[in-house]
Amino acid sequence: MSDVQKNTAPGGQSRKNRLLTFHILRYNPQDPDSKPHMQSYQVEEAEGMTLFLALTEIREHQDPTLQYDFVCRAGICGSCSMLINGRPGLACRTLTHNLDPDITLAPLPVFELIGDLSVNTGKWMRGMSERLETWVHTKEQELDLSKMEERMDPDLAESIYELDRCVECGSCVAACGTAQMRNDFVGAVGMNKIARFKLDSRDTRSDDDFYELVGDDTGVFGCMSLLGCQDVCPKELPLQTQIAFLRRKMISAGLKR
Amino acid sequence: MKVIYTDVLVVGGGLAGLRMAIGAKRRGHDTIILSLVPPKRSHSAAAQGGMQASLGNVIKGQGDNEDIHFEDTVRGSDWGADQVVARMFVNTSPKAARELAAWGLPWSRVRKGDRQVIINSQKVTITERDEAQGLIAQRDFGGTKKWRTCYVSDGTGHAMLYTASDRAIAEGIDVHERCEALALIHDDNRCYGAIVRDLITGELRVYLAKATALATGGAGKVYRVTTNAVICEGIGHALALETGVAALGNMEAVQFHPTGIVPVGILVTEGCRGDGGLLRDIDGHRFMPDYEPEKKELASRDVVSRRMEEHIRKGKGIKSRFGEHLWLDITLLGRHHIEHNLREVKEICESFLGIDPAEKWIPVRPAHHYTMGGVRTHHTGESPHLKGLFAAGEAACWDMHGFNRLGGNSVAETVVAGMIVGEFISDFCDEKENDIDIPMKLAQEFYDREKGKLQSLLNSTGNESAFKINTEMQEIMTRSVGIFRNGEALGEGVKQLQALLERSRNIALTSKVPGVNPELVMAYRVQKMLKVALAIAYGALQRTESRGAHFREDFPHRNDKEWLKRTLSFWRGDSTTLPELQYEELDVMKMELPPGWRGYGAKDYIDHPDTAKRQAEVEEIRKQTEGQDRFAVQDKIMPFRDKLPASLRERNERIDEPLN
Amino acid sequence: MSNDTLIIQAGLSDKPRKSKWPARLDLAQSASGLFLALFMWLHMFFVASICLGEDVMWTVTKFFEGYYFFGTAYPRLVSVVVGVVIVIFVTHALLAVRKFPISYKQYKTYHAHMKSMRHEDTTLWMWQVYTGFAMFFLASAHLYQMFVWPQEIGPYGSADRMWSDMLWPFYLVLLLCVEFHGGIGLYRLAVKWCWPNATRDFLKKLKWATTGFFLIIGFATLFAYMKLGYEHRANYGEPYVPTSISQSIEGTYK
Repeated sequence: MSDVQKNTAPGGQSRKNRLLTFHILRYNPQDPDSKPHMQSYQVEEAEGMTLFLALTEIREHQDPTLQYDFVCRAGICGSCSMLINGRPGLACRTLTHNLDPDITLAPLPVFELIGDLSVNTGKWMRGMSERLETWVHTKEQELDLSKMEERMDPDLAESIYELDRCVECGSCVAACGTAQMRNDFVGAVGMNKIARFKLDSRDTRSDDDFYELVGDDTGVFGCMSLLGCQDVCPKELPLQTQIAFLRRKMISAGLKR
Repeated sequence: MKVIYTDVLVVGGGLAGLRMAIGAKRRGHDTIILSLVPPKRSHSAAAQGGMQASLGNVIKGQGDNEDIHFEDTVRGSDWGADQVVARMFVNTSPKAARELAAWGLPWSRVRKGDRQVIINSQKVTITERDEAQGLIAQRDFGGTKKWRTCYVSDGTGHAMLYTASDRAIAEGIDVHERCEALALIHDDNRCYGAIVRDLITGELRVYLAKATALATGGAGKVYRVTTNAVICEGIGHALALETGVAALGNMEAVQFHPTGIVPVGILVTEGCRGDGGLLRDIDGHRFMPDYEPEKKELASRDVVSRRMEEHIRKGKGIKSRFGEHLWLDITLLGRHHIEHNLREVKEICESFLGIDPAEKWIPVRPAHHYTMGGVRTHHTGESPHLKGLFAAGEAACWDMHGFNRLGGNSVAETVVAGMIVGEFISDFCDEKENDIDIPMKLAQEFYDREKGKLQSLLNSTGNESAFKINTEMQEIMTRSVGIFRNGEALGEGVKQLQALLERSRNIALTSKVPGVNPELVMAYRVQKMLKVALAIAYGALQRTESRGAHFREDFPHRNDKEWLKRTLSFWRGDSTTLPELQYEELDVMKMELPPGWRGYGAKDYIDHPDTAKRQAEVEEIRKQTEGQDRFAVQDKIMPFRDKLPASLRERNERIDEPLN
Repeated sequence: MSNDTLIIQAGLSDKPRKSKWPARLDLAQSASGLFLALFMWLHMFFVASICLGEDVMWTVTKFFEGYYFFGTAYPRLVSVVVGVVIVIFVTHALLAVRKFPISYKQYKTYHAHMKSMRHEDTTLWMWQVYTGFAMFFLASAHLYQMFVWPQEIGPYGSADRMWSDMLWPFYLVLLLCVEFHGGIGLYRLAVKWCWPNATRDFLKKLKWATTGFFLIIGFATLFAYMKLGYEHRANYGEPYVPTSISQSIEGTYK
C-alpha cells in the first residue's frame, strides 16, 4: 500500500511507484497470421490502479490492438472476468497492489475466444438460459396490471435475491474441472439458476420439470464437487450448498420415475 | 452485402430496449435487438437504489399516488419536463413494477410490525401495517415527498435487467450481441434500419426494418469522469443526429453527482453524507459550511457538486496522477455504522481503493451521472422529424426529466417507456400505410458510404490519434461544460471542440489488424461523440439562464420568460462543425402544474407572462370541481389518459385506494 | 433388434422424458464409494490387530472364519465377504470411470487447468483419478487372492506374503492409494451432499487428520507384518498356532 493510502492526511506523495510487467496471452482468431503467444508490457503503477486502468493505459499508449472487455468497471456487470495469474476473477476490481509486479493475464477457458482477453460469455450464457429456461413459468395471461401485486414472504424474496445476484461472469465455469473436460456441462451458474427458480413460489414448475432440465450428467449429476466455482465466485454465492440441495432434490425426483 | 430483414429493429439491449422489444414481439412483430454487449451486461444493471412507483405500501408511503409523483417529477425537472409525458409516466410506473413482480423480480417486500430506521440522523421506530405484509416495499429517496422507491436490496437495476432479459429470451427475441449500429438508413422523412458492424469479426451488415428504435442509454463518456459504463458513449444520440433530419432535445441538461470515487468514478451513495459524513480539502479542512452555512454537506446534489468544483478551482484539491480530488470522511460514523448501514460503500472502497473507509478518507469528486437530453420524440416515442425512428430510455427526450432527473426515476423510465413505446411501435407497424418497399438502392448507398468511411480511416495518412482526441474531448467537456458554466468558458470549449472535430477527420491508425480492431472502433466513435459533445456544449452556451442541472454563473436565474423552451439540435451536413439549434416553446397554458418554486434551491426566478394566468385558471378549475375525485379534477386540468396505449390507461389499485 | 435399441441409437432415449438412470447411477456411485471407504476403515482395524500381537490377529481371523460360532473355521466365509466386496468394487469402478478424463485431450486440458488454478480440491480430484486407476489393478489382485486363498490369511500367512513373497512394495502402494482415495472420496461425499452440515474448512481438516491417522496405523501394520515375515522366513508356509492352544493341547489341534 502506498503512503498516500496509509496516511489520509493530505498532500502525501507516494514513494517511487512499482514498475508492473504484464504478461498477456495474445491471439487474434480473425488474423490468419496470428499465433497464440505471450506478450509483455510494462506499466508504472499508480495508487488505486485496477487491472481496468492498467489495461486501458496499455491500449491507449502502447498497443491499440489489445482486446479485452470492460463495461461497468465497477464489479457489477460481469464482463471482465479473465485468468489473473491463472485463476478467474473480475479484472475491473482487481487492484494491482494486491498482486506481485509480474502479472499474467489470459482469457477465460471454456468460452469461445474473440481475441486476446475477450471471450464470448454472452453467447454461452444465452445458450444456458435457453436450455434451462431461466425464467419464471407462470400463467401470465391472467395478469391485470392495475391490480395489486401478489404477496410474497419478505424472507423468501430475500433468499431469491441472494441467488439472483449472479452476474453471469463465467468465472465459475472457467474454474470448473468438469466444464473444462465436458463442453455440455451446465456449470454452477446454470445450477444456481435452477435452484433460484425452484425457490421462487411464482414458478409453477415441479421437481419433475426441473429434472428434465438438469437430471443427467450434463446437469447436476455431472458435477464432481470440485468447488472451484464456489472459491472464485466474485459475488460469493453459496454454490456448494445450492448444488448439493439440487442434487438431493433431483435424486429423489429421479428415484420416483 | 448481407441484408437482414425485420419488423422492429431495437438498438440497445438495456432495460428500455428489452422491454420495448418484448412489447413489439408480443404484438406479433418480428423483432431483433442489437447490443454492443450481452444484454445482461448493460448499464441498467448499475442502478442500485431503486425504481419510483407510487404503490404506497409502506407506512411512510401511505397516501402516495400519481399526483404526488407527478409533482415531484415536474418540480425536479425545474419545469423543463413535458407534463403530459410525466403524467403518462407516473400512471404507468406502478404497472411496470407489478409486471416485473409477475415476471419474477424479487422485489424487497414489506414486513408487518415495528422496525428501526434512521431519519435525519435520528433513530426512529416505524410500524408497518398488517395489510401491507408481503407487498412490494418502498424506501426513501431524494426529492420525493413520500417513500416511493421500490427496490431489490442494493441491486435493483441488476435484478430488473436480469428479469427483463430472461423474459426476452423466453419470448424468443433474437439479440445480435456485440453488434454496433454505425448509421441509420434513411431519406429525408423515413428511417429504414441501420448499417451494423459485427464487433467480433468486423463484418458490415445491413438491417432493414419497418421501425427502428434507439435505446442506447447515456453519453457519459464524453466526460472524463463519469459514473457511466464505458459503453455509454452517446452513440445512439449521434446516430440520430447524423441523419441531419432527427433532432436531439435539451442536450445541455447533464446531471452530476457529488461523490464519485477517484480515479474510477464509481458512485458512493449520498447516504454517506446523509448519515453525517463530511467533505474535506487538501488541508483536511471541512469546507462546505464556508459555502453553505445552513445545509452544509446536505445541500442538494447540484449545489454540493458546484461548491466542490469551485473549491478545487481555488487550488484546494488534492493532486493525484488521475487528476484532482477532495476527501469524503465517514470515519466519524464509526465502524459499526459503516459495516451495517453502508456495506456497499465499504465494499467499493475495499475493492477499488484498497482502503477501509472506517479508518481512511475516500477520494471523491463530482462525476457526470446522467444525460437528461436525448433523441427528441413525441409522447409515442417516435421522432417528430423522421418517420419510423423511435427512441426510449436515457437515449430519448420525450421529455419527462426536463433539466434535472429525480433519483429513482431513471430506471423507472426505462421500463415504463419500454412498455409505452413498445405498444406505439406495434401500432405503427400494424398500420398498412407504414409498410415499406425494400429500399435496396438506399441501403446499398449507406452500406458503401459506411464501408468507405472505415476504409478511409484505415488508409488515412493523417497524424491524429483517436485515443488522444478522445482524451482531449473529455478534458474540454469536463473543464468547460461541467457543473459550473459561463459564457466565456463555454465559448472557448465550443471552439476547442470544433477544432477537435476538424482534427478528428485526420485520424490515422497505427495498426490495421483484421477483425474488430479496437483502435478503429475508437476512431469512428470519437468522431460521433464529438458531435454529441458539441450539441451539449453549444446548447449550454446558447441557454443564457440557469435551470435544473444547467447552471450558468453569468445567468444564475431561471428565466421562464425567455427560456421556458426545449433546445433542439440538428446536424446539417458532414462539413459543419456546429449543430443548428432550434427552440420548442413549452406551453404554460396547458400545464397542470404551472412554473413556481421547486421547494428547494433558488427562490428567485423570472416568471413567464402566462404563469399567473394559468395559475388562476387551474385554481378556478379546482374550485369548480370541488367534491369530485382526484381523477376527474386532474382530467379537467390536463387530460392525458387518451394519450396512453389503451392497455395502460387503467387506474392503479392501492391498499388505500381500491379499484371500484 | 428391439425397439429400445433403435430409439437409443437414434439418440432419442431422453424423449419425451429424461431417463431415470442418471439419478440412480449418481446415487449408486456415492453409495458404493461410501461402503468401500467405510469397509476399508474396518478392514484397517482388523489387519492392524497384528500390532497387538499374533494371537489377537489370529483371533480376529478365526472370528471371521466363523470359528467362534460353529466351533470350526470355514475360510470360505471370508470368500463370500470378499465376493460381495468385489461386486461393489467393480460397480464403483465402473461408475467412477465415467468421470475420468477419457481422452488425452481431456487429460491435458484438466492437467493444465489444475496447474493454473492451484486449487486444492481440483488437484485432489486428479489424485483420486490416479489412485483409482492404480486400484483397478492393485485392489483387483489383492481381492482375487483373498477370494481364492482365504485360508492364507493369518499372522504367519500374511507375514510370509509380505516378506517372503515380496509383496510389501505392492501393499505399500495399495495402502497409499486406498487411504488417499478413500479419504478424499469421503470428503467429497460430504461436500457433494452437504452432510454433515459442517464448513468445508472443517471437513478438509478432518479429512487430512483421518488420512494421517489411517496412514500411521497402516505403516505400523505393514512394518509389523514385515518384521514378523522376516523372523519367520525360515519357516515359510507354516501356519500360526496361537499360544493358548500350543500350550494346553499341544499336538492335538494339528
